[in-house]
Amino acid sequence: MLVSSLFCARICAKTEEVIPKAPVFCGAAVHVDLAGPVMKAVGTRFDQLECGARLNFRDHYFPICELGIGESDREGRTTSNTFHARAPYFRVGMDYNANKKHNGNRMFIGLRYAFTSFNYDFRAPDFQDPVWLTDKGGLSMTSQSARMQWLEACLGFETKLWSFLRLGWTIRFKKPLHKKFPQEGDPYYVPGFGKYGNSTFGGTCNLIFDVGRTSKKMNKK
Amino acid sequence: MRRCAFAYAAICLALTGCEGIDCTLNNVVLCHYNFYSSETGTLVSLADTLTVTAQGTDSVLYNQGANLTGVSLPMSYYSDADTLVFTLQGDGYRTQSTVRVEKSNTEHYESPDCPATMFHYLSGVSFSSMVIDSIVIKRAEVDYLQDENIRVYFHNVGE
Repeated sequence: MLVSSLFCARICAKTEEVIPKAPVFCGAAVHVDLAGPVMKAVGTRFDQLECGARLNFRDHYFPICELGIGESDREGRTTSNTFHARAPYFRVGMDYNANKKHNGNRMFIGLRYAFTSFNYDFRAPDFQDPVWLTDKGGLSMTSQSARMQWLEACLGFETKLWSFLRLGWTIRFKKPLHKKFPQEGDPYYVPGFGKYGNSTFGGTCNLIFDVGRTSKKMNKK
Repeated sequence: MRRCAFAYAAICLALTGCEGIDCTLNNVVLCHYNFYSSETGTLVSLADTLTVTAQGTDSVLYNQGANLTGVSLPMSYYSDADTLVFTLQGDGYRTQSTVRVEKSNTEHYESPDCPATMFHYLSGVSFSSMVIDSIVIKRAEVDYLQDENIRVYFHNVGE
């Protein structure tokens, strides 16, 4: 009886724990993606340089916009074909912080609408008719115009490193919404989306800078 | 902080991971001809041997096939029309038919790792022959799909 009453008292104490309510506007933040420069340095098949800005409402709702430049400059491993694309992309969306405590750690679920419009080049210097043996000096398709819009479902975590500095990462599931590609073929790479396909995964590692007075107040709490 | 750095290094490596070559398995573009009997309208197997050559090239596109119900032939990349010579050879006789296929050509590519190719769109077929009754375009798009493109109706040459 005594044990059960003590247990009940403990549970009641837990449920009565009051989580301080954050102010409506808790500041803003800007971020840069650290994964892109690493990808560029390592020499992957494509990379992007990305930054973004977001607002913070109640420490739960984070309207966000992101912009970046995606680039792919690649030669085939089994062919001498080359592909080149370099263009900006844009994303807008919202993150929701699922961590009820305002302790500096955040777990995000979010959604983004993204779009890009770009030109790309595809060259196949060895392209020739194998039967009629007509050789027009290879295949060269330059400035192929393409557009694409897509959605991204995000899962992310971030933590406070120091004062106004935070570190976070997201993984993203990307699904094309609408696309307009040349009839000659789909682009190998779409800036911001990654390697083109029916769906793909991506991610970011963000260095985040809190800005604004309100965020400082939040940090003091 | 060390754990944090390790985690971010792992994430960066994951984002810069490996990639396979995923080209279309069937990446050969051929025009698929099927042979039909003009009397019955059904698919027929040719009793004679068939050789197909292309005018303007020394290449033999199909060499002495027997009991054929159809052939799949390459098309030229840049010409607006291909002229093919169908040679049927039986016991003691030999007959030649000329088939002219008009088309447009479109470059096609999948990725830098995959060979580029040419797709075609058939716009018309004409022929001069003693053994061919008629030719019909069934599917005008000539691409990676292996569907029937052209139906050739022969007079009594089948089994």
